[in-house]
Amino acid sequence: MTEGSFVGIDVGGTFTDLFVAGSNGDGPTVIKVASTPRDPSVGVLDALAAAGLRPEALEAILHGTTVATNALIERRGSRAALITTEGFRDVLELGRRDRPQMYGLWGRQRPLIGRDRRWEVRERIDHKGRVLTELDEDGLRELARALADDGIEAVVVAFLHSYVNPDHERRARELLLEANPDWHVVTSHSVLREYYEFERTSTAVVQGYIQPLVAGYAGRLTRKLEDWGFDREALLMQSNGGVTPVRRLAERAVHTIRSGPAAGVIAATELAREAGHSNVITADMGGTSFDVALSVDGRPVQRPQTELDFRIPVRVPMIDVRTIGAGGGSIAWVDRGGILQVGPRSAGAEPGPVAFGRGGTAPTVTDANVVLGRINPERPIGDEAGELDVDSARAAVAELGAPLGLDAEGAAEAILTVVNTLMAGEIRLISLERGHDPRDFVLVAFGGAGPLHAASLLTDIGMGSMLIPPHPGVLCAQGCADADVRYDFSQTLELILEPAAEAPAPPGLAAVLAEQRELGEAALRGDAIAFESIEVEHFAEMAYAGQIHRIRVPIERDWSARELADAFLGAYEREYGTTLTGAGIVLVNAATTARGIREHRASRGVPGAGRAPEPIGSRRAHLGAWIEVPIYRREHLAAGGSLTGPAVIEQEDTTTLVLDGMAAAVDDALNLIVEAR
Amino acid sequence: MIDPTTISVVRSGLEQICDEMDLHTIRSAISPIISETNDCAHGIYHPRTGETIAQGHLGLPVFLATMQFTVQAVIERAERQGGFAPGDMWVLNDTYLGGTHLNDVTLLTPVFVDGELFALLANTGHWMDVGGATAGGWNPSAEDIHQEGIVIPPGKLYDRGRLNEELLAMFLANVRLPDDIRGDLGALTSALQKGEQRLGELLARRGVETVRDCLEELIGRSERQMRTYIEEIPDGDYEFADRIDNDGVVDEPIEIRLRIEIRGSEMRIDFAGTSARVRGPINISANTARSACYVALKHVFPDVPVNGGTFRPVTIAIPDGSVIAAEYPSPVSGYLEAVGRILDVVFGALAQAIPERVPAAPFGTTGVVTVGGRHPDTGAYFVGVFPYPGGYGATHQTDGLVHGNTPQSMANFVALEASEHRYPLRFEYFAIREGSGGAGWHRGGDGTTYRVTATGPCTLSVLGDRADSAPFGLHEGGSALPNDVRLITGGTEWRPPMRTKLARQPLAEGDSIEVASPGGGGFGDPLERDLELVERDLNHGYIGPEEAERTYGVRARVESETASRKRWSVERSDRAASAAVPSADVGAQQPRQEAR
Repeated sequence: MTEGSFVGIDVGGTFTDLFVAGSNGDGPTVIKVASTPRDPSVGVLDALAAAGLRPEALEAILHGTTVATNALIERRGSRAALITTEGFRDVLELGRRDRPQMYGLWGRQRPLIGRDRRWEVRERIDHKGRVLTELDEDGLRELARALADDGIEAVVVAFLHSYVNPDHERRARELLLEANPDWHVVTSHSVLREYYEFERTSTAVVQGYIQPLVAGYAGRLTRKLEDWGFDREALLMQSNGGVTPVRRLAERAVHTIRSGPAAGVIAATELAREAGHSNVITADMGGTSFDVALSVDGRPVQRPQTELDFRIPVRVPMIDVRTIGAGGGSIAWVDRGGILQVGPRSAGAEPGPVAFGRGGTAPTVTDANVVLGRINPERPIGDEAGELDVDSARAAVAELGAPLGLDAEGAAEAILTVVNTLMAGEIRLISLERGHDPRDFVLVAFGGAGPLHAASLLTDIGMGSMLIPPHPGVLCAQGCADADVRYDFSQTLELILEPAAEAPAPPGLAAVLAEQRELGEAALRGDAIAFESIEVEHFAEMAYAGQIHRIRVPIERDWSARELADAFLGAYEREYGTTLTGAGIVLVNAATTARGIREHRASRGVPGAGRAPEPIGSRRAHLGAWIEVPIYRREHLAAGGSLTGPAVIEQEDTTTLVLDGMAAAVDDALNLIVEAR
Repeated sequence: MIDPTTISVVRSGLEQICDEMDLHTIRSAISPIISETNDCAHGIYHPRTGETIAQGHLGLPVFLATMQFTVQAVIERAERQGGFAPGDMWVLNDTYLGGTHLNDVTLLTPVFVDGELFALLANTGHWMDVGGATAGGWNPSAEDIHQEGIVIPPGKLYDRGRLNEELLAMFLANVRLPDDIRGDLGALTSALQKGEQRLGELLARRGVETVRDCLEELIGRSERQMRTYIEEIPDGDYEFADRIDNDGVVDEPIEIRLRIEIRGSEMRIDFAGTSARVRGPINISANTARSACYVALKHVFPDVPVNGGTFRPVTIAIPDGSVIAAEYPSPVSGYLEAVGRILDVVFGALAQAIPERVPAAPFGTTGVVTVGGRHPDTGAYFVGVFPYPGGYGATHQTDGLVHGNTPQSMANFVALEASEHRYPLRFEYFAIREGSGGAGWHRGGDGTTYRVTATGPCTLSVLGDRADSAPFGLHEGGSALPNDVRLITGGTEWRPPMRTKLARQPLAEGDSIEVASPGGGGFGDPLERDLELVERDLNHGYIGPEEAERTYGVRARVESETASRKRWSVERSDRAASAAVPSADVGAQQPRQEAR
């Protein structure tokens, strides 16, 4: 191992993956060990040991964790209390008046903090920040004393309009910590400086709910790494695609939810960028779901808000990863109208697809691939059970097809077409709704099933090319190793722009942006990491007066109202194809992103000699008809090599299908670049 | 026969086009009622029959079928005028032809392929204001349609691509928020253009003839699917009736009565016995009543995709001259109350036949609170709309949801902080209305209560219901608490004479309105409710100790106290211990089991 390595480690539900980029012509190190859900830091150390790494040789350990996500899904978070403005303790439970699905009047809701632990205190601030009712400090002290005896770990304070005037929340925090310095106290304005009381309260409650647990994990991980001999600070992946030092992990807990998929998008974007593509659609197809995301100009597109469960929104920037229930385990079925459907129900790992022979009886997408010979039945992926049961899979698929008048092959083809249509539709939706044409993008496919379906998606959507990374199964770990350090800030201003020709910059905007820049730079300086550079970008979220949905536009700090308005109108036109006349423009939020750019260690290989790879054999596969298809091993594909479809390329963690008429080439970084012709 | 792959792929393709149109309008509309509460819908329609082919998943349920009726009305008119031409866009809000109220304006555009009419695209969007006597359009004292706003008969907004400037100017001159309406109209227009473009792409990809064959086939498939569900309902006649408090003008109850006849795979819904047309704005057109029945059935059988075939097995008889067969010039702006009650009676009747599929009554009022005036800070005209929140009825599966939107809508409640930014209003509290959900083995969801105070002069209207007849429970479940609206003006608290219907009440700075919305009905015998749940209800303050003991038959004891809040433990009292067969078996009376 060479000096100064960057190690990426991704802790998933089943496996903990490790990735270290190679240097001096060596390939990368890729390790998979079993995850240790009781204390995930054990798996992290296991992976480091398995990779044979020496602590003193490491420049940085970058790590993605599902601790926060799992705590939420399994409702294992802290015992927390919520204190609100008098009259508003139920905002958290009431939400914004909705139901989980449009049709069917049932619904179940489980607030993270039940009504018996939600309290109120007298105070009120209006929308301009004016104090209408002073904070009842005596009442709060009394409440704090009572709660101190109630076994509470975290207290969340969420007052109305605290985003414009946080004084009462700050004072409440002081009083609570006086009563019990061991509490995790979370104020809503410190988590989100924006209006919308339910969304802000919910975000703060999620933070309070997971903070004690995440703090415990950060402590254990730090101690274990120190004991191991690693004297620097580990960096943790966030859902915005940037990392943060482990020391800040607890306070940033809400930013780590769903950071795993974000890391995959980061890595896919970075690989594509090195290969010369800045507009990328990433497609991660696993056992139960299909995750799709978009990167424009080398930046993953993010979204401001995510619903974690019914009535549990978090409003923090996350990479916009859309998930639909389409994976290898998705079950195919025929509805009452006689129409073939796939998913969203999945056979999961247990009982799994019929071919796995673990008791699954419902035909799945994997079974269809098995029937059509696209998956090697002797060397299946993600399954230690050994050989696949092709006959049972075939029988199940044939049985499904019978009432539709389809034989086994016909039904299997139909299943794949239906699931590919769903995925292609999602790709179209995520790009078209932002005004992009997916045909201008490169598809990066990964996950266990992604490379198997990507060629069909390419054809369906009419995209020109796709990139299959050398290690599609550990892309999230690779993304951790690639990520920059990142902090986001946002504050509601609600400024009405007066875009007269000579109008000055809107009042207060420059000051807020300057403050955000300072906070970001200070945080980066405090992180004691050697950055190649620090990059600060400002954004404005703007809308026509009265509009709810805002458009995020990059801006400069000293821009005039005219320049701001022009930037908004340009972005609006791109997204909606039109602008509106006569409507005023409001600058709702001012936002800043501060990035510490880490030196990127390109995972370059040596330029190859361009040898044509030799197939290891061939197999009968059904691609429209039964044909003999050459089979390649991925590790035989050297840089500069090329092949033409139809072909099947097998490796430990996935199978890649190249269709007839497609040409595949291996680039210097060992990516497989497939062009549709 | 079309191959199964193609039909599946074409269906997804058509639905994605509609979803994209929904999203486009929601994201680009100006009025919060569209952008925040999704008060719009988009669909693709058969070029000759006007039947629905596909609809978006985000549009409001109430438009489920009304749009089909509206499209059919436009087809008839267009044919009399020489047919559709490329580049045409029709506009209308005629409530007696299609449906709902004047605020819901429909746009329709033909899609041509190689010079031949292939399909129609249409959308409906809620205009924040259409003129009339009351800002926002909900006028509880209207006695004819003209007091509710301008009526737009079917006509061309665009004629072969050319905008009819005079027509547009005429609308804008008659509404209170012309800039907002212009913006919304832009969003709705471009959504249809986007849909047309996407449909063109789908046709290019899949072939015109193939898609055309699929359209016919999909309609037939939905019909077959619906029939399989109706066949599972035991044959028989099921009757139910419920009431609307009054029409806002004359204080007399209005009865909605129906009989559902099930014969094999056919369902007949007969509204004989329903009250006659009324003076106030509670009337709805017959097509809106039909659409309401469809919404109710879709809630009971959510799997069936909606298109022109879905409701072919259902016939609906609506008596002429009844409150649900409005004709010119009957006022209709309170249509959502009548729609809500139709949903309730369909549930009430079907619950007798298929108890484990049907919920107890939801809170049952759209109860819109509208506040309008000139903002004291800016002088600009504003209209704030607060739809009623309330509890859902409990079901065989779960307790009822708290703070749902009405079953015919997906509208959200505007954020309180955003409301205070926009309107001269201040919320004093916003809370669960304790004890308002119906008691039961599964408890109905609680209603919501809030008080809002004016910080400047404005005018308030309320158009609600369910003050006199509470949402009903099922199978021995209790009814919910009814609606309660109070005003505090000049320091005096009072209840509107029509209870929850109040037109153009001036508020001065410091005056307030207090709303306590109904919960949903309970399901099953409360004496059989799980003890742990009763204890939680008590500790969360959803019910009080008296209700726990009286209704749920438990003995409650205080275990501890934190900051003057008691923690209770409960145990079964003798009364509950001797209770009969658990209601969990209520579904077992059903002669036929669910097919899967």
